Amino acid sequence: MNRMKIQRTLLVATVFMLGVTALMHAADFKVIANNSVTANTVSAGDLKDVFLLDKDSLGGSHVEPVLDKGGPAHEAFVKEYLGKNDSALQAFYRSLVFTGKASMPKTLNSDAEVVAYVAKTKGAVGYVSSTAPSEGTKTLVVK
Amino acid sequence: MNRLFIGVMALAFGASSAMVHAQYNFNLAGRQVQVHSFGSQGFAYSNDNSYLTMNTSQGSFNFDDLGVNLSSQVTDKLRLGAQGYTRRLGELSKGQVTLDWAVVDYRFKPWLGVRGGKVKTALGLYNDLQDVDSISTWALLPQSMYPIDLRGSTIAHYGGDLYGRVRLGKYGKADYTAYGGELPSDPHQGFLYALSAVFIEKTPYRGPIYGGDVKWTTPLKGFLAGASYMTQHPTGSGVGGQGGPIPGKAYTWDSKKRAITQFYVQYIVKGLHVDGEYHRDYRHLLTYVPSTNNLSSNEWNARSWYISGAYRFSHRIEVGSYYSFFTPNQNVDTSLPGNHIYDKVVTARFDLKSFWTVKVEGHFIDGYGANDSARGFYQFDGAHNITPQPQTNMLLVRTGFSF
Repeated sequence: MNRMKIQRTLLVATVFMLGVTALMHAADFKVIANNSVTANTVSAGDLKDVFLLDKDSLGGSHVEPVLDKGGPAHEAFVKEYLGKNDSALQAFYRSLVFTGKASMPKTLNSDAEVVAYVAKTKGAVGYVSSTAPSEGTKTLVVK
Repeated sequence: MNRLFIGVMALAFGASSAMVHAQYNFNLAGRQVQVHSFGSQGFAYSNDNSYLTMNTSQGSFNFDDLGVNLSSQVTDKLRLGAQGYTRRLGELSKGQVTLDWAVVDYRFKPWLGVRGGKVKTALGLYNDLQDVDSISTWALLPQSMYPIDLRGSTIAHYGGDLYGRVRLGKYGKADYTAYGGELPSDPHQGFLYALSAVFIEKTPYRGPIYGGDVKWTTPLKGFLAGASYMTQHPTGSGVGGQGGPIPGKAYTWDSKKRAITQFYVQYIVKGLHVDGEYHRDYRHLLTYVPSTNNLSSNEWNARSWYISGAYRFSHRIEVGSYYSFFTPNQNVDTSLPGNHIYDKVVTARFDLKSFWTVKVEGHFIDGYGANDSARGFYQFDGAHNITPQPQTNMLLVRTGFSF
């Protein structure tokens, strides 16, 4: 009886922790885009391609990536969707810039600056904290 | 150049973090132009010998560089850019400012683009990146593969590239580059310095170059593999030096064939980064002296490889090690110190800021290669013939910035 109770407790605790983790992750960031971007959803692969400068269109609309300089949303986004840490990402961009293969993507200093830039710039796609106000932009669902 | 370099470094270090992180842009004819820069300063000290024409046995700061580029995404498909570069490396480069690259790049489709101008050459993992200190774990890339004193012989070409990315479905993706053009002359490279006592260049040593590279990003996460091929046919002429076999006589050089084949693999997962490359370099050089109607033929069959591993413990610290193997000519006894250079290296990289790194590196070098391989060790210091010692231990500290 005690053993069953312990097992049930462990199961509930595990489900609870998984749920909390999912909620925490879901709360980390959201992907936003200028209203000119026709797509409402984006695959994880396409999102990665956009931010690694392999792809410059979504759903027929030209897009350009916008990054945050740092912070929890930036760290979480870069880790989850780009498969890199910030050091590796910066090295990747520099490898393109200093060999003439690409220009550095726009990088801004805060969620507010990212939202303001995305709202006014045709094709801009960025990410901000999930709780950050994002008037003037649309939120993309990542599949 | 040294004062200018110090000034730029002071600007980078003294500016506020926000300033340095800022992208430097300006508008020209309605288009945004980005400005980026990188640079480094090194210090080398060895227990014996002089390495890379620096007086390392006394300690040398004669190892620095600076690059500045401007670029603009003119339309969705069209990009323009150019980069200037200057460096000091011992007796080889003394601060001359050069055009590193200047490119017009048009991407028709993801699988097809074209770029032309002075273009960095795709060869292996790091040929086109070797100047940018901040990109690499190492203060000095494996010299068997990316000899800094011979940089000019492969770094860029005047001509054009076709390039693109091909999706392979469940098999990953492949990036290709095919190029052709002319190999620029580099009067400051080690090859000419090494032979400067016996051959004095009068017309630049240059000629056609073409080749390609294919990089396969495999379905195995973090693993890629690739292969490169390059062929060159440079020619030049000069006069024999007084210390050489044809003193005062005119000569011509014809690299009848130079062919480089390179294979590489890379594995990156979380903080671990492993690289391995293998390189074959075949050269057949004809030297003709018209006054004596004498034609001599020399061939080299070099083999190089390295394997490296690095681990990033935090966003501030990365440590690593590599083993670098070079034999200038497979046709001779490579066990002799004059016929090989083996280098065991350990490195610690510190990212003090996102734009500022410091690297501390130890080299334990066995052998010194051959004088005509002109790599690392030189048996002529500009005035005297010297015979290097077979073992060299060297400390290299290098600090760099990029923004």
